[in-house]
Amino acid sequence: MRLEVAGSLRLFGGLPRLLHLVREDLAAMDLPAQLAVAATPLAALWLARAGSDAICSDLPATRTALAAVPITALELAPPLARRIEGFGLRRLGDVLALPRASLGARLGKPFVIDLARALGEVADPQACFIFPERFEQGLELPAPVEAAPVLLFAARRLIAALAGWLAARNAAVRSIECLIDHGHGVITTVPLAFSAPVHAAARIERVLKERLDALSLSAPALALRLCARETEAREDRSHALFDGAGQRHEALSELMDRLAARLGPQAVQGLACHADHRPELASRPGSEKPALKASLPSLPPRPLWLVEPPEALRELHGRPQRAGPLVLLAGPERIESGWWDGGDARRDYFVAVDSGQRWLWIFRDPRPPGGWFLHGWFA
Amino acid sequence: MNPALAQVLERSDIRRGDAFAVAPAPTFATGFARLDAELPGGGWPRGALTELLPEQTGIGELGLLLPALAALTAAGQTVVLIAPPHSAHAPAWAAAGIRLDCLRLVFPSRPRDALWAAVEALRCGGVAATLLWLDALFRAQLPANSLRRLQVAAGEGGGAAFFFRPAQQAGAASPAPLRLQLHAAGRQLRVKLLKRRGPPARQAILLDIARPAGFIQSVHYAVAGAVLPDTTGIRRRSRVPA
Repeated sequence: MRLEVAGSLRLFGGLPRLLHLVREDLAAMDLPAQLAVAATPLAALWLARAGSDAICSDLPATRTALAAVPITALELAPPLARRIEGFGLRRLGDVLALPRASLGARLGKPFVIDLARALGEVADPQACFIFPERFEQGLELPAPVEAAPVLLFAARRLIAALAGWLAARNAAVRSIECLIDHGHGVITTVPLAFSAPVHAAARIERVLKERLDALSLSAPALALRLCARETEAREDRSHALFDGAGQRHEALSELMDRLAARLGPQAVQGLACHADHRPELASRPGSEKPALKASLPSLPPRPLWLVEPPEALRELHGRPQRAGPLVLLAGPERIESGWWDGGDARRDYFVAVDSGQRWLWIFRDPRPPGGWFLHGWFA
Repeated sequence: MNPALAQVLERSDIRRGDAFAVAPAPTFATGFARLDAELPGGGWPRGALTELLPEQTGIGELGLLLPALAALTAAGQTVVLIAPPHSAHAPAWAAAGIRLDCLRLVFPSRPRDALWAAVEALRCGGVAATLLWLDALFRAQLPANSLRRLQVAAGEGGGAAFFFRPAQQAGAASPAPLRLQLHAAGRQLRVKLLKRRGPPARQAILLDIARPAGFIQSVHYAVAGAVLPDTTGIRRRSRVPA
């Protein structure tokens, strides 16, 4: 870690005091550290790696201190390190004594530029460190709470704080965590996931409400904590005044979040086609990609409802029965597939009508023991 | 006519027994011209509960909705199915012209959750049409006020609400402004309007709904009662994974 301290010396009361504070804090965090101070970032890094406690606040002192640094402390690429060692150079001082131009020719430009940076002859701009953004705020409850839904009132304050925090950063969250503290280190974690990034307090609150309504607390809650670890940039669209498509879309994704929060993520599904001739595998939950539709083969008619598993039908005089004999209208369509994955199927499908004029999709298994099965309804 | 009475008749919430309600209720076309002509506003109502009472499954009760649903999803609007009675077969829905990415299926396991999910979906403004099957979960004993709740929720959300109910409920009182009883009639569907905002319908109408043998040519017909066709010579349909 490299710190720029020149600008902070007055605030902390001089370099020795600043170093003392840094050492104290590091010791409190149980982090072993080697501190070195130099006039350039690279020189400070090399000095610290060399294990010297050098404190050089100006360039000449830095140059003197660098001379004693062993080449191994530079952590150069192995081929370059071997070449320098091959020249018989052990310390940085030996290298600095040589003419710079011939060094560049023998050891390459990058190394010479590094030397210049360490000596302060070339500017060495550093990338600023930015703290990872996270929101975490807690709240002690005035009295132990036994019913989870009541926690929503307390959570409202935290959600408002989160919404304000997000608004200041023009950010949104995809998931947050609500931690319920029961005391004695027992914590219930309620993770909330959203289908799209959210930032509005009301929307977070409604999803949390569904989760809390379904939750029963193992012990009275003493404190509440809300965490948002990862944020992403908010996607703000300007809503058309009269269209309302954006609002409809937002209302829909909020509905899906709330349904999934209360009924469970498996209870809310999309529908998608899958390329398989076995009807039970041709339809899957999931999201359909619009581009796939073009490649859909034109099939003989398929029923809107599939009966899973297929319902065995009685057979009388060679004809399938279901509350009376079935009349076969169309077929057969042979579907034979799946020999490679163990789900081997060979079936002859027919469109049939029963005595109540209901339209059925039935199949006959031509292999023994055979038999007729109802597999779908043309609803 | 008494001027005071004429004034009352001008009001949008007053309708005469021999005419459709004059208030322009928002609707969308059913895809069947004969049905549109019989419905107030000329189509399926938005923001109101529509009860569909098929005598059985498999008579074409969904076929009645498919043209309208296809039009809605083609416009990018969302259709939600709550507690469908069987598993939906994606290729068939796609073949009926419905954009599958606009379809959402909700499978509540408890009756209370089902009613809650239905009310939420209807109240949400983002769903263009909601299809409900609640009676099976409630074992045909729907709570007394639930239809009223659904009707109010549909009014708030403004989407269409199609509630599939068993035919035995045809005689029960219902707050739904539109109720249709569906009977099988061969390749057609006989639709009887039990209730509408307008004069009572005189007779049932016959609609040509999509029936399986209607949209294919390549299948062989087996004559009823004849010996089963020999299936050994059929071209084998087999697919090797890519």
